[in-house]
Amino acid sequence: MKRILSTFCALAITTITAQVSAQEQEFQTVMTPAFSPITWERLVNAKDEPHNWLMYNGTLDAQRHSLLDEVNVSNVDELELKWAYQIPEIDRAETVPVVVDGIMFITEAPSNVVAVDARTGRQYWRYNHEMPDDLRICCGRNNRGVAILGETLFMSTLDAHLVAIDARTGNLLWDTEVAKHDSGYSKTAAPLIVKDLVVTGIAGGEFGIRGFIDAYDPVTGELVWRTYTIPGEGEPGVETWLGDSWKTGGSATWITGAYDPDLNLIYWGTGNPGPDWNGDVRLGDNLYSDSALALNGDTGEIEWYFQFTPHDVHDWDAIQIPILADLNINGQNRRTMMWANRNAFFYTIDAADGQFIDGSPFATQTWAQGLDRVTGAPIRVPGMAPTYEGIMVSPPITGGTNWYSPAFNPDTGLFYVTSFDGEQIFFKRDEDYEEGERYTGGGGRYDQPMDAFQSYIRAIDPTTTEIEWEFPIMPRSSAGITTTAGGLLFSGTADGYFFALNAETGEELWNISLGRRVHAAPITYEVDGQQHVTIASGNVVYTFVVDD
Amino acid sequence: MRLQASFLWKGLLSVGALSLILAGLPSSAEDAGTLYNTPYDVAQGERYFERQCSRCHGFDAKGNDETGAPDLTGRLNRASNEVGVFNVIRNGVPNTAMLPVDEDLPDNQVWQLVAYIESLRYDPNLVELDGDADSGLALFRGRGDCASCHMVNGQGGRLGPDLSRIGESTRPEDLMTAITNPHDDVAPRWWTLEITGPDGVTRSGFRMGEDSFSVRIMDNDSNLWSFQKSNIESIERIERSTMPSYDGDMSESELDDLVAYLFSLRREEN
Repeated sequence: MKRILSTFCALAITTITAQVSAQEQEFQTVMTPAFSPITWERLVNAKDEPHNWLMYNGTLDAQRHSLLDEVNVSNVDELELKWAYQIPEIDRAETVPVVVDGIMFITEAPSNVVAVDARTGRQYWRYNHEMPDDLRICCGRNNRGVAILGETLFMSTLDAHLVAIDARTGNLLWDTEVAKHDSGYSKTAAPLIVKDLVVTGIAGGEFGIRGFIDAYDPVTGELVWRTYTIPGEGEPGVETWLGDSWKTGGSATWITGAYDPDLNLIYWGTGNPGPDWNGDVRLGDNLYSDSALALNGDTGEIEWYFQFTPHDVHDWDAIQIPILADLNINGQNRRTMMWANRNAFFYTIDAADGQFIDGSPFATQTWAQGLDRVTGAPIRVPGMAPTYEGIMVSPPITGGTNWYSPAFNPDTGLFYVTSFDGEQIFFKRDEDYEEGERYTGGGGRYDQPMDAFQSYIRAIDPTTTEIEWEFPIMPRSSAGITTTAGGLLFSGTADGYFFALNAETGEELWNISLGRRVHAAPITYEVDGQQHVTIASGNVVYTFVVDD
Repeated sequence: MRLQASFLWKGLLSVGALSLILAGLPSSAEDAGTLYNTPYDVAQGERYFERQCSRCHGFDAKGNDETGAPDLTGRLNRASNEVGVFNVIRNGVPNTAMLPVDEDLPDNQVWQLVAYIESLRYDPNLVELDGDADSGLALFRGRGDCASCHMVNGQGGRLGPDLSRIGESTRPEDLMTAITNPHDDVAPRWWTLEITGPDGVTRSGFRMGEDSFSVRIMDNDSNLWSFQKSNIESIERIERSTMPSYDGDMSESELDDLVAYLFSLRREEN
């Protein structure tokens, strides 16, 4: 009996051991991959680990070009849905996820973040930001993404805070108030890591704020430096504002910039001067609104600026993403900054000193005869400012493009931008500033249904600023673009498609109807040796693969 | 100038009166409302609207498909009366971009905004027209031959918009324009597309739907066709209406009758 029992026990133990072993094996196939801390060196060399998507713009030069090529022009039509993640809060998703070693971080409206398995879209943890109910936001409950350094995520919140979150658990590490939300400030953009600093902008250009760019200590959340985007009393440039109008002049900084480690310069765009459509109270060029700023990477000091639209009265923020690249300009290799502006002009600018190199319209515009060939300043068509009765101008308020991420593909040498050919009636109104209230001085109205207009993906040669090809999409798109070493361009449409084009020719290669508007930019990453492509559409984050 | 002063006086009186009424009472939409409907209040409400609301709802309050903000000039889905409008403005719509107004904003200013939104709409029952709706119905079914293209309450053709509730969304003067000058403002749904498909056959039909990569039409025999744009040989858009103008074909009084009939096509108000 004893023997039988011991035999049974031995069998049972063997069986249990075998089961445990099988479970362990099974578990190992789905367990969290090694998530090694993100050092500054890894961020500088982000291009060299294309299996990850380490920051909002992909890389510090903001090219949004991935070296992954498993999905390419010959097999992209085999892309199939692998998983979908449903965002529980119903709103529009402008998120660009960050992917680190098989874990994806997705931000949601109003200011939440969730970590999911990048293979399956299933959740590890979630952080819900406590939000006051007296927000001041102009244009929706948006959040576009996080930044990561070490094992910490950094996220902007709609109540104008910057929060640090443990990337492994979702625990809140610190919560810093960047500005007073009830004065009209808010935050929507992903921060940018620059060495040991968290650099971040501010929104609120429709509420008479005074814009700035901040840098915070990633460990303590303390402010290290603040650079105002409007000069203060006694500072050079304040004379470009009538009277005290600089105090309420807007010039917000609500999209993520770029950084050049060799030049140690941070590049960041600034928004419209306020009030948006009535410039009478702020006569002058209104520095540094609607400008590209180059800031010292250590001190935040403004090294140079380039103002695209002096004394803007059409709400044409320079809230676009600067793309940095080495270009051969007339036989000379130059480090350049490429910029497709909301005012419908494309610019190639020297990244070292801000010198204008070239520029041309890339979308329909009626407000300028062209750009000064030396300075790049616009040569205005008279009589295009908003009036009390209304005046038709192109581009409309939403611009020839807007905040949507463009891309640059070093293989094709082309810059890609989502552009819109439209027009709008601009109105002017008289308004007094009241803290925390909208301060816009007018507005706009479309005179035709949106279906009467067309968007395009346009490919621009930045050395000549000429459009090489264009692909029509409908109606007004707010989707960003990503290109890959597989010869592909990915983007989305306002009518709910995700699609791939041949980046060289603009030829349509693949599309899928996802049913809801795409407000976000695509990313691509690799996990388990398989390339994945991800896009948010409506309230869903979709991920596609080509199965072997 | 005297008129403006009068508005101001009335407005101030209204504010004072409501202050007395509301003294000691919690802020509530049921407390008041119609006190704030003078032209002064409407103008103040318009000013506030242009500043705070137009970014999403549009400068003309006709809504914005892109932001999802609804048209406020027609029938409202979330409010059936002024109190309902007040509550939406005061409380917002949960889980949407429609946030509540600042809690420090006095109720009287919210009521002025309500007054402005109400002023954008109108009570069709109070509109008096020259024409006779019954005579218009006879013309619609008879000499006008309108029913061969338009449906009313499930009866009629498919070659024009369903007119069952046309009186809710269109004012009489705009109905007259649509009858006498149908090419004036043709909605994209009623453009005609001529598409040559992969089979080389050209088909013509109404633009039922079009997006970045595909297009769908209905031809004159009510056949529905769908095309992938990458497969078609050509596409031509005709942005004119297929409807004939009745200007000259009908007398002025007959046109008035037809407008009166069309304007009568609306649901009973609750």
